Amino acid sequence: MKYTIGLFALGTAALAATSLITPAHATVGSCTEPVTFGTTISSTGRYSTLADKWRNMTIEFAKMINENGGVNLKGCGKKLPLKIIIYDDQSVPSTAVSLFERMATVDKVDFFVGPDWSAMGFPVPPVAEKHKIPMVMANVAAPPIFKRGLKYMWGTPMPTVPNWSTRYFDMMSKQTPRPKTIYFITQDNPVTKALTGFWSKKAASLGYKVLGNELFSVELKDFTSLVLKLRIRKPDIIYISSFDSPSVPLIQQMRRLKTKAKDVHHALLSGKLHKQVGNDLEGVTGEIPWYPGVKGPYSDFTEELVKRANVDMFEYPWTMSRISAYLIMVQAVERAGTVDREKVRAALFKGTFDSPTGQIEFNENGYAHKNGAFTLQVQNGKPVIVWPPEIATGKFVYPSPSWQ
Amino acid sequence: MDASIIIQIALGGILLGGLYAMVAFGLSLIYGVARILNFAHGTLLAVGGVAASAIFTATAWNPLLIMALLVPVLGLFGYVFYDKLLQPLTKRSHFEYTVGSVLVTVGALLILSDVAAWIAGPAPRNIPLRFEAMEFGDVIVSTTQAWILGGIIVFTIVLHFYIKKSWFGRAMRAVTQDHTGATICGVQADRVHALTFAFGSGIVAIAAVLYTMLFPVDPYMGFSLTVKAFTIIILGGIGNLVGALIAGIFLGLAEGFTSFFWATQWAPAISIVLLLVILVIFPQGFGWRKSK
Repeated sequence: MKYTIGLFALGTAALAATSLITPAHATVGSCTEPVTFGTTISSTGRYSTLADKWRNMTIEFAKMINENGGVNLKGCGKKLPLKIIIYDDQSVPSTAVSLFERMATVDKVDFFVGPDWSAMGFPVPPVAEKHKIPMVMANVAAPPIFKRGLKYMWGTPMPTVPNWSTRYFDMMSKQTPRPKTIYFITQDNPVTKALTGFWSKKAASLGYKVLGNELFSVELKDFTSLVLKLRIRKPDIIYISSFDSPSVPLIQQMRRLKTKAKDVHHALLSGKLHKQVGNDLEGVTGEIPWYPGVKGPYSDFTEELVKRANVDMFEYPWTMSRISAYLIMVQAVERAGTVDREKVRAALFKGTFDSPTGQIEFNENGYAHKNGAFTLQVQNGKPVIVWPPEIATGKFVYPSPSWQ
Repeated sequence: MDASIIIQIALGGILLGGLYAMVAFGLSLIYGVARILNFAHGTLLAVGGVAASAIFTATAWNPLLIMALLVPVLGLFGYVFYDKLLQPLTKRSHFEYTVGSVLVTVGALLILSDVAAWIAGPAPRNIPLRFEAMEFGDVIVSTTQAWILGGIIVFTIVLHFYIKKSWFGRAMRAVTQDHTGATICGVQADRVHALTFAFGSGIVAIAAVLYTMLFPVDPYMGFSLTVKAFTIIILGGIGNLVGALIAGIFLGLAEGFTSFFWATQWAPAISIVLLLVILVIFPQGFGWRKSK
């Protein structure tokens, strides 16, 4: 009996201690604790060139939401503060998996936002599935990730693979002389391969002759052979599907070996690439999901946020997807009206949400299938939006003089 | 097939291979003398390249001047690295020495990469020197490439004769051939080990500046260069600089032609494939391997 009482006392004490050391987060129906999101950001490692300012931006996002009172929960009849727990996944998928596991079991966050990059989009969502925590990923664009039947995963890549170059090809179809041939150069990465896989078929269906499709490893530095293939095949359009850093030597060597084309299109063009290769990027076209000046829901909020976090949208073009993931999760919790993971999951399912780029619509797989992008061209060292014409800030220069 | 295409690929391959060989020179000497597999060797090139680019961006100095600055800095780093972290392992058993040196150099690789990325950023950078290109028919050679090619050839010859004729070169070769015998003859083997580490690291500084003039470097690219350098020293022979140069050029050409005639994605992997094939067919290495 004495032993049983002792055991009971020990158990009670352990439970009490657990409740004391558990970090503050909103339990189901709680109207007192902060709503807690958990995320990882690639602040170091290979992808950090794309994301190294997002930690500060995420902190600013929570601050700005809280300056407006917090997350509005109608079930509580008041707003609760937002708290975001951030870890550095070091650009390593296995690290991201263990950090999300930690956030589920140790930090006990309410919801997940992020991660980014398709390489992480494969292994991380099963953690959300296991713990039944709704997750809105950001820059995870490869469509196969969303076709695994997972029920707690959403993603808002900007743009999505099937809409990535829609405006670009629309623009090219209206040019004279109309380009007839295209050559794809692709970095060996899940999203860039998905991009080429989709758009090479699309280009063929639009009447282009696809002259080649070269895949290259991120380790490749000498692109002489690839550039010579371009010289032999003489494509009208060179379509580069690569992140910025791996394509630095490619662009430099295309210039060095005097490559010619009517247009060189870099589907993941960014200001970071421009900083690295300078004038070699002149005339190159690319896509950008959003830039300050485009009006839409939350556009003023976003302009203020990127200003506070000192994020240049051309240098960090994937930022809009991150911000949208946060905005969507806030809206989903507000729609659910309570910190209840199942209710939030129901709000996210096939939901439509506001973002500065317009309405973000999830399909039944959790894929924001309609997200598109604007077409830009580097002109005199500056990014100029050239398509669609109704919002263009400059005229498309074609054929690109610097590639003649 | 147009001959100009073949010449252009060959030029690119020779240049790339020459740079690989320069990375391999230091690694070969270090392994030959100290019997240490320095996994951080390629990372030292990456870090040296990042530093060279940062100095160039800040000062616009002549790359030769940057080289003159970096050689003693990386040399000193190599000396201290060996003296403080690797030399104490020599007192351990052979097994502990081997495993310990691998752990120390792999640890250094990770730390150096992250520290360099933290200080200078993880983005690729280079020394954006652009001279006019020379055109021979359809073959285009930039003056930068020509200078680098010349630099590699001159450097290999100078290094070859330095190792053959100088006291330090002879001491290195003596310790490589017979550690005990060299010690009996008055060579301070431990000191030669440390100096060789410094010497090899100094050579990397030269390779780093030349590499960064041609290709972008980033703090995380070192390990793949180390693997290529290992392939080269296995093909070319440990301590054999001419063999390393030939093996390096062979590797560079193999990458270039693989990319052109097969598929670009296979080019970086060809070094491993070649290594395995050659080890199976020529287990003793090629004819130019230096015998004891």
